[in-house]
Amino acid sequence: MDETKFTPKIVGFLCNWCTYAAADLAGSSKTEISPLFSVIRVMCSSRIDHNLLLTTFFNGADGILIAGCHPGDCHYDKGNYYARRRYALLKNVMDTLKLEPERLELSWVSASEGKRYADVVNEFSKKIEQLGPNPIKKSSVF
Amino acid sequence: MDQQKNVLVIGAGIAGMKACLLLAKTGKQVYLVEKLPIIGGKTIKNEESFPNLECSTCMVAPVQQEILQHPNIKTLTLSEVEKIEGDIGNFTIIINKKARYVSDTDCIGCDMCFDPCPVSISNEWEENLMNKKAIYVPCSGSLPNVPTIDTEHCYHFNGKQECNACVEACMFEAINFDDKDEKVEIQVGAVIIATGSDIYDVSLLPQFGYGKHPGIYTSMEFERLFASNGPTSGELTIRNSEKTPKSIAIIHCVGRKEQDYCSGICCMYSAKHAHFIKHKLPDTKIYNFYRDICVPGKTYQKFVEKINDIETQMIYHNSMDELNILHNENEITIEYITGKSKKETLTVDMVILASALNPGKDFSDISKMAKIDLDKNGFFITNQEKVGSVESTKPGIFIAGCAEGPKDVQTSVIQAEAAVSGVMSCLDS
Amino acid sequence: MKKKIGVYVCECGPNIADKVDIDKIIETVVAANNSENVEIIGDRHKLLCSAAGKVFLEEEIKNKELTHMVVAACSPRDHNSTFINVCKKTELNPYLYKMVNIREHCAWIIPDKDKATNKAIEYIQGGVARVQYQTELIEKKLDTNPDVLVIGGGIAGIEAAISLAGKKRKVTLIERSAVLGGKSVFLKELLPSQAGKEYINKRIKDLTDNENIQVFLNTEIEKIIGFLGNFEIILSDVTNKDKKTEIKTGATIVATGFGLSDVTEFSNINYDTKDEVYTSLEIEKMLSEKGKLKLSSGVPPKKVGLIHCVGRDEKKYCSQICCNYMMKIANYFKKQSAKIEVKEFYKDLCLPHKDDQKLFNLTKKNGVDLVRIKEVSLNGTKIKYSRIDGTIEENEFDMVVVAPPIIPSDSTKNLSEILDIPLDEFGFFQEAHLSTNPVGTSTDGIFIIGNAQGPRGISNSILMAHAASGQIRTQLIPGEQIVPEVKVSEVLEAFCMGCKNCIDVCCYGAIYFDEIKGISVVNEAICRGCGNCVASCPSGSIRLKHFTNEQIYQEVIEALK
Ligand SMILES: Cc1cc2nc3c(=O)[nH]c(=O)nc-3n(C[C@H](O)[C@H](O)[C@H](O)COP(=O)(O)OP(=O)(O)OC[C@H]3O[C@@H](n4cnc5c(N)ncnc54)[C@H](O)[C@@H]3O)c2cc1C
Ligand SMILES: Cc1cc2nc3c(=O)[nH]c(=O)nc-3n(C[C@H](O)[C@H](O)[C@H](O)COP(=O)(O)OP(=O)(O)OC[C@H]3O[C@@H](n4cnc5c(N)ncnc54)[C@H](O)[C@@H]3O)c2cc1C
Ligand code: SF4
Ligand code: SF4
Ligand code: SF4
Ligand code: SF4
Ligand code: SF4
Ligand code: FES
Repeated sequence: MDETKFTPKIVGFLCNWCTYAAADLAGSSKTEISPLFSVIRVMCSSRIDHNLLLTTFFNGADGILIAGCHPGDCHYDKGNYYARRRYALLKNVMDTLKLEPERLELSWVSASEGKRYADVVNEFSKKIEQLGPNPIKKSSVF
Repeated sequence: MDQQKNVLVIGAGIAGMKACLLLAKTGKQVYLVEKLPIIGGKTIKNEESFPNLECSTCMVAPVQQEILQHPNIKTLTLSEVEKIEGDIGNFTIIINKKARYVSDTDCIGCDMCFDPCPVSISNEWEENLMNKKAIYVPCSGSLPNVPTIDTEHCYHFNGKQECNACVEACMFEAINFDDKDEKVEIQVGAVIIATGSDIYDVSLLPQFGYGKHPGIYTSMEFERLFASNGPTSGELTIRNSEKTPKSIAIIHCVGRKEQDYCSGICCMYSAKHAHFIKHKLPDTKIYNFYRDICVPGKTYQKFVEKINDIETQMIYHNSMDELNILHNENEITIEYITGKSKKETLTVDMVILASALNPGKDFSDISKMAKIDLDKNGFFITNQEKVGSVESTKPGIFIAGCAEGPKDVQTSVIQAEAAVSGVMSCLDS
Repeated sequence: MKKKIGVYVCECGPNIADKVDIDKIIETVVAANNSENVEIIGDRHKLLCSAAGKVFLEEEIKNKELTHMVVAACSPRDHNSTFINVCKKTELNPYLYKMVNIREHCAWIIPDKDKATNKAIEYIQGGVARVQYQTELIEKKLDTNPDVLVIGGGIAGIEAAISLAGKKRKVTLIERSAVLGGKSVFLKELLPSQAGKEYINKRIKDLTDNENIQVFLNTEIEKIIGFLGNFEIILSDVTNKDKKTEIKTGATIVATGFGLSDVTEFSNINYDTKDEVYTSLEIEKMLSEKGKLKLSSGVPPKKVGLIHCVGRDEKKYCSQICCNYMMKIANYFKKQSAKIEVKEFYKDLCLPHKDDQKLFNLTKKNGVDLVRIKEVSLNGTKIKYSRIDGTIEENEFDMVVVAPPIIPSDSTKNLSEILDIPLDEFGFFQEAHLSTNPVGTSTDGIFIIGNAQGPRGISNSILMAHAASGQIRTQLIPGEQIVPEVKVSEVLEAFCMGCKNCIDVCCYGAIYFDEIKGISVVNEAICRGCGNCVASCPSGSIRLKHFTNEQIYQEVIEALK
């Protein structure tokens, strides 16, 4: 594949209460954000399971960002702590799958951090661009 | 609808909003009167709240949104109550609703009218740390996200020159110069006063040098300086410069002696400020000048200890009267008496004055209008014949939040919910 | 049946119209989805959230007999509820509609019009794909029981019961001891209020006279199951465990108060039982019972030392009320005789309420010697202390009063297990949210008030009682039903292996275990729809309605095309 033409596909699972709100704030402040990044809204970061993440990778995502409320701020008490645990676990497995662990990132972004949201997304997008294409992409898992 | 079951809530801070939401659940019609163009009160000025250091917007924005979308709540912004007549179960209220000049049904909050406006004036909501246009919202993320026009400074209104720029910029024909102030008359069965409190005017105390040196801040100014949607996008730089402070002193209890009470929250928010500083400027030295540390209840002491022990130097001083802040162009020097009765000095780049909370300027007008009493400090007083009551000295009128005296969000919310119980008692007999 | 999906793109004035090519979007989406089974109706509108826009959508749904609807506009945080209300005015179930954010997440953040247009197509395609996997959800109404159980007959519990009881709402109050009133009955004065202990006695009488309140003394709670609006409870007699009472309520208030820590557990406090050292509560009791403060020999003391904040460093919290009541006690001595020499040792003064300073001023005026110290230790009745300037002094007193830390009542731990309400790190009941819901708990319908939640004075305890009352009276209206959240989880019976992982992770106790079937079951009335259990289930047997895997996958697939 021609390296220069690589346009990665990046999926972001954002929790409704904090990070999705931050994304809105970034939008209403007209902050430029990478078009490579696709937002999917879930109610809480704790909804994200390995099944969802792996399916997303198998289907060709070059990077996945999970983002939710800061520790202690989760709208559902402790959901984000569980999200962190699941994230850590999957990171460990990714090596075995020959998938660079850097392709998965977890970040806490609160509703007032519009600018930070843009930075997190743009930096992550850049990182994935440098990493190149997802090596384990299969096309027919569904 | 049975008008005697309607409720008026004055002030859309956390206390007023919480009370509205509970009452609206019961199907009552609730009127929420707020004098500013936006709802949220003081909590939305804070990036993070003690004691959990959680994002205030995350905490409050869902409440604001629910208020604005609730079919049983009528929110009147830019409004003040002018007349309260009648008694429990049967009050007649007259509200002066000032013209917004922007239609809240047509405006979609796109901000396109701001840029073309030629007028730039100081933004009070941002503690005058930045400017706004004559057509403005106080800050990004304001709710309702509908601008208003400052008619004192707008060229169209003050006649300084012809101007129609905002109207031309607005694709939604949302701006209407002919909008008029309105008198709104409503009937309600009960009233909750939740007007919050003001912040002590530290310029009354020359010893602290406020206003004389750009490095001297009030605590609320500092909250905005830290806020990521604030004047510097959260960068801690000294007023009118790019300079980041290398050392910061926080002075506790400013105005406590004059007011003759402890505000009960400034030790906490000062610790929060120390945490803010350490978080953004890890090498900056922080000094806390204190006389008492007031951290009541189960979680506050731990919060303060965790922050103060690790991150700041606590300096006990003997006398507030003998603490002076001297300054010249480059330096701010704090002169104080140590616990050992020695005079010492400390030079810093920035000072934060932890100022007391004090009664709002219009409390005495409201008290006369509603025929309810104030305490000796000028806060609304509750019925002293009952213990732990939120009822004012007139049945059917309740007090919640900082309007009753300085307090944290927790106790403001407790009082708001207690006021709801009081309202339910007088309306559902 | 052929699906008819309406896809409506809002121009939002120039905000969306100028930044993306709306016609191209509609064309592409229609072309990509029209098939034998699906018909897409695409249209644009100047401002969908306006009155005219809402009417337009309503007409479209009705006239075109839409089976599904996608609205591409601003953030769902702004207008999801607007369009849900549009659906509700029609036959279209609101859960067969989906909002796509092409303003904040597209038009406003991608300056290149082509790129923004493609992004918008991707998001709308995701919406169109997703909405076809969405299912109708029907709001259910539940009957509720307005009655309330109050656990604990201290002042907090008493006030809660009186505030709630009425013709249409009965209250049951249980007190584990043989008397009502809790600790407040020992207090001569209830500062900062003007009231004295008569006030407490009056409220006890108000309680027992109230025909809508049933009081059980010597009674504890043994079991509780249920949720807001419907609790089933078993009470048992402390003296005769077999004597049980079953009741049903809609809410439960925990008002079990506090205990005082044993001060001798702290290394700086050393004394014998024979020494004239008293805890603050012992002093209050002595004054209540004997009317005078005396040494055990019967003579009044001449020189009294009071020590604040005992054990505060060890407990890591400030008990909030001791500064106040220790000054009150100092004044008790001064009122008994101005000649009694009273020295009060404190590190910080915690006077958080606007009226507290008055007491401090009065105490100083009464001649109490308020000494600010760094460290203090007690040996018998000898107090050794270091002043703030570092000088160390030692004084002998004939009576010493210590202020022990307020700790959770000894029944708290057991009760937390029965109620399934977590405790905080200090052992008090944990509130739902310290700032915004201090009287709520992780279980809707169970409330914590007074010192059961944390140390506080009487006024504040009563305020919390009224706060819980405010919540209950607005949530449980006699004769009215409640509508629980519908976007909740469900366990698919056939796949559940009974590992109980989901039960462990749910922060709300919404999942219970059906022992007979050997599977987990979600109680829909409690579930809040976070989806944590879904992610915890190893066999993939839990679905979160409206956020199912299939639904989310549709968005993923479109994003990756
Ligand atoms: C610098 C600082 C930092 C703080 N940090 C924290 C913290 O981290 N955590 C915490 O728990 N607490 C904190 N507090 C305290 C917290 O701000 C208050 O407890 C809380 O704002 C009180 O809410 P309220 O609703 O009573 O009043 P407010 O928030 O003041 O709201 C009152 C509302 O009423 C409106 N109003 C006033 N008069 C009228 C009138 N006549 N007619 C109509 N409307 C009127 C006002 O415009 C305002 O919107 C802080 C306070 C300060 C000063
Ligand atoms: C020395 C002293 C002086 C004080 N002075 C003042 C003052 O001047 N002003 C002021 O405002 N405050 C004062 N206080 C604080 C005041 O006593 C408390 O705020 C008040 O008693 C709290 O009431 P409560 O209902 O929360 O708890 P409690 O008074 O502790 O009552 C709790 C009740 O619950 C019962 N209970 C416990 N567990 C169970 C169970 N499992 N099942 C059933 N029942 C149970 C207990 O038996 C008790 O009757 C003082 C406290 C002390 C120690
Ligand atoms: S008034 Fe018009 S231009 Fe200004 S924000 Fe509202 S819609 Fe936009
Ligand atoms: S009319 Fe007034 S508000 Fe509008 S642009 Fe001109 S000066 Fe600004
Ligand atoms: S809370 Fe702290 S800073 Fe504020 S007045 Fe009280 S002792 Fe002073
Ligand atoms: S986690 Fe899954 S398998 Fe385990 S008990 Fe819960 S539903 Fe059943
Ligand atoms: S969705 Fe959340 S609240 Fe509902 S049962 Fe699962 S974990 Fe509990
Ligand atoms: S709600 Fe945001 S992470 Fe749980």
